[in-house]
Formats: sequence, structure tokens, C-alpha cells
Amino acid sequence: MVRSKSCLGKLERINSTLSHREADRVPVSDFFWGSFLERWREELGLPADTDIYRYYDLDWIVTIPNMDPHIKRFEVLGQNDEEVVVRTGFEAVIRKKFRAPMPEYVEFDTNTIDKMKAFRFDDPWDDRRYLRRGDNQVAGVGDSFIRDLPPWTETVKFLYPEFPVYGSVCEGHESLWRIIGMENVLLWIGLYPDEVGKFVDRIYEFVLGITEAQIKAADGLLDGMVIWGDVAYTRDLLFSPDYWRKYFKPGVKAIVDLCHKNSLPVIYHGCGNVQRIFEDYIEIGVDAYNPLEAKAGLDVVDLRRKYGHRIGFCGNMDVMAWADSSLDELEKIVLTKLNAAKGGGYIFQSDHSVPSNVSGKNYDYVVNLLRQHGTYPLDLGEYDIPEIF
Amino acid sequence: MPEEKDESLQDLRRAIFEYDRESAARSAELSLERGIDPLIALNVMTEAIREVGEAFGRGDLWLPDLVGASEAMQGAVPLLEEEIRKRGVERKSLGTVVAGTVFGDIHSIGKTMVTTLLTAAGFRVVDLGINVTAERFLIAVREQKADLLVMSALMTTTCAEQEKVIAALKKQGIREKVKVMVGGAAVTEEFKDSIGADGYDPTAPGAVGLAKRLVGKL
Repeated sequence: MVRSKSCLGKLERINSTLSHREADRVPVSDFFWGSFLERWREELGLPADTDIYRYYDLDWIVTIPNMDPHIKRFEVLGQNDEEVVVRTGFEAVIRKKFRAPMPEYVEFDTNTIDKMKAFRFDDPWDDRRYLRRGDNQVAGVGDSFIRDLPPWTETVKFLYPEFPVYGSVCEGHESLWRIIGMENVLLWIGLYPDEVGKFVDRIYEFVLGITEAQIKAADGLLDGMVIWGDVAYTRDLLFSPDYWRKYFKPGVKAIVDLCHKNSLPVIYHGCGNVQRIFEDYIEIGVDAYNPLEAKAGLDVVDLRRKYGHRIGFCGNMDVMAWADSSLDELEKIVLTKLNAAKGGGYIFQSDHSVPSNVSGKNYDYVVNLLRQHGTYPLDLGEYDIPEIF
Repeated sequence: MPEEKDESLQDLRRAIFEYDRESAARSAELSLERGIDPLIALNVMTEAIREVGEAFGRGDLWLPDLVGASEAMQGAVPLLEEEIRKRGVERKSLGTVVAGTVFGDIHSIGKTMVTTLLTAAGFRVVDLGINVTAERFLIAVREQKADLLVMSALMTTTCAEQEKVIAALKKQGIREKVKVMVGGAAVTEEFKDSIGADGYDPTAPGAVGLAKRLVGKL
């Protein structure tokens, strides 16, 4: 398959950045809420089918194969004009109200420790996950509700000519809470730590299979891998770092090692404040950490100051500031953050995903700022911080 | 022997620290059989939760510990509260709190932490759960005669709901009757001021102190 010249430039840009070399300019991309996209199109007077990645020629894009433990169509338990209730391949019942941004997890079939122990996973190598149309929870039930998604490999091939394409996989906790629910994650870690740990081991067998199988299915078309892995909230980790190191870290390391063996850099997506285990992510070789939530007290310039170029960063543009700041204030924020891009190692993105609070005008302004000031060698003027390099 | 030293209450306290819901229920039942004042038993549990909450605040314990202790307490609370009702004794509380995560938002951990610690601190808490509409908040505030309304919103797209609820309280003429505390990852002090809420704290332990100040108990 042939890639465009622009795409090859983006690939060089992303790979140089993740190797801590200065490319032609600082890469930029993001994850977007559907409601933001609607607002952005309306405010900029764009057609309803305008693709933001193509409009701004953003630098990378992530894809999601079918990671449901059980490969099956959604069971529709109820539906009307306002909402749909489905049971997914995680055996979770989810209510998606179409006008609400997030789905509601109503219940989880795996609601006892014995059911957790008895839980079985379908074959991660089953080609229905990668080569056939179908429903899957992670890609299909979130901000939007989408059924009968096209084959994942077709999505990869469609994007390949124009964008660096990343695959993705849910690590242990992201899979665990989707199976047993967040309340039971916290409760059972407290009550049955070793039983949960053993189940996490089985989850990692499954997700390692997902990782390897999607790399094989993509047949050389992937440029990297995202690990979806929330293990923290705004203030701290969800559970103790010792527990994470014992039961979750080895699996993350195994995924990273597998990706690196296949020459795929890894961007780890983990919300919240993970500072207690940030050194661990560096140790296991994560290439860049995302999204670096400002609301969790993270600041990419401080992180660069503390960790140097031992790890890359992706994110940290505070969406609340992006929504509420004046254009002058935005310029100050963006140019200050670009200090973290000196010597490469920083992909500019929001500190999670761009919501509809952000106006189309403000989003457009920031991307244009990055085109203007994000070209190497960086000239950050009064916002330059000399001790960051 | 002072009631507090009774073995059943020691077991009740231990059940909280061991996150053992069944043991908490058994110990509570035993304490009642031995004629112990249920208010004393309740205080033993809330004191234990308070200790867990303080350890959590220091970073010595984690969310699973807070959730486990709270879950254990729920094994005993209904039994003790039923006994208190039977005796016609009024349980002194610092105030009535109505709490929930706003409409469109399904995050509950922060709210659960705060409601657990508020209960431990001596508030009567009515937890409406997640995805709570403004109308449900209003009904609960009115029916429960709430002193404090606590709303959580994790996302920038949902924290605007907190402003809607405050507007609805004003429209119903009951805004002045209830203090409003807001929280969640997307909320800031500035946001709290902009929507006319009374209080905000970024941490669950801090929220308890704030709650006490708002109801005039600190």
C-alpha cells in the first residue's frame, strides 16, 4: 500500500519525536468528543462530514480492534428514541442515553468472586476480531453508539495512506473493570487481593494475545500501539503501588516488550495522577505517556524538568483552559508547554480529549499557533524557559 | 464493664478494619443481644471508618481499603438503625446530606469516598447515586430537608449540570435553605464561584471539614 508524502512526513515526525530528536515541527493530534466535532463544524461553517484529522492534517490516529472477551453481537435489552440498553461481550449491561456524553454501566454479570474465577475468554486470535464486521464495546459504546463496525483491518488500511496508524489494547485494569465493575475492583482488591491478582494474570494472557494477533492481522501496517490503562484518579492511584507492581506492571511490561520486538513504539494512556509509578513506566520502556491530565496536577514542563528525556509526553493541554481562556492566554499556555518539546519527545494534545466546552474558534487558534510556533528550531520568545532543553 | 469494651464491639471494630461485612453484621447483632446501646455500636463503627479515612488521607491506605471498610459498615448499619428507630431514639447527626453524581456522569468513586467519610463524621447521608437529574436532586433536598447538597461531576461536559441544579434550587425558592458543595475532577474553586455554589474541596477528607463548616458545626 502506498503512503502519501504528507503521511511519510508525519511518520518521520512522530518517530523522531518519540526518539527524542527534533523533527520538522512538534506533532499534534487528539481524541475528540462527538459533541465537540459538531460544534467545531458548525462554528467554522464546515460540512457535516468534515473529518478533523484530515482538515488539520493531524499527525497520528489510533484504532480499536475487538477486545471484548466474548465475541458476540450486542444483546439489545431495550431501545427507544432516547436510549439503548445492551449487554456486550464483556457481559456488562450498558445504558447509552444518546444525549448524554457517557454511557452508564448498569450491571456486570460477573458479580461474584466465583463468577470471576470461572470467567473464560474467547480466543484472542479469532479472526472475527480483526477481519470481520461486528460489535465491540470499547469502540462501539462510549461517546457515541456504533454497531456493526467495519472490519478492523479495513479501518487500518483506509487510514494507512494518510496517517501513522496505531493499534490499541486494554491493559489489565481497563479489562478488569469492564468485566467486574469499578466498585468490585476496589472492593475485591481489598477483600480478595490474590484472587483478583490471579484473574489479572489471566487477563494479561488474553490481552497479550490481542496485542500479538492484531500486529499479525495488520501485517506490517501498524506504526505503533496505544495501551489503554487507567489506574489512577485525580489525586492518586486507585490502589496501592505495591499491588500495581505485583499484579499489573509485569503485564504492561510484557505488552511493551512485544511491541518493541515488532518495532512499534508504545504510547500509554492512563488518566489521573500516576506520579507514584511514573518511574516504573520509564523503567519498562513506555515511549510516551498520555494524557497527562492538568486537573490531576500534572504539568508537562515540570515533568520534563523532573524526568528529562527518559520518556516522551503526549497531552497536557488543559481543556478547561482551552475552553475558557482568551486568545492571549492561550498563546501563553501553548508556548510555555512547547518548552517540553525542545529536543523532541512531546506530542501536543489535550489533557484527555477535546470536549464541547472548547469552541471551534479556540481549537482552531491553538492548532494554528502550533503550526506557527511549533516549527523547529523553536522560538518561544518571552515564554522560553532556558533550563528546559 | 463499660459498654465500649464489650467483646462484640471490639469484634465490630475489627470487622471494619478487615472489611468483613458478614462479621460486622454478626457482631452488631450480638451487641444488640447483649443489650448494648445501638448508638454506641454505631459510634464504634464510624470511629473506625474515621481512622481508615485519616489513614487514606495520609496516603497510608488506598481506595480499596476505604471501599472495603465502607462495605463492611453497610453490613451492620441497617440493623443498628432499625433498632434505633424501634427505640424511638433520635440519632444526633451533624446534618442531613443529599449527595449524587450529576446527570450524564456515571463516575461514583469520588462521591462514594466523600459520602463514606461524611457518614463517618456523623452526617446523615442520602446517596442518590449516579446520573442524577436536577429534578431528582430537588425532590430529595425538599423531602429530606437537606442541610447540605453535595454534587460530583468528573467531566467538563457534565459539571455544567451543577449550575443547572443550583438554578433549579433558586427557581423553587429553596436555594437559601441548603448549602451546596460541588466536587469532581472538572471542578475548581473558580468554577464553584462562577456557579454560585457554597463550597469546593479537591480532596475527600477536606470535603468533610468543609461540610462541617458549611453547616456551622466547626
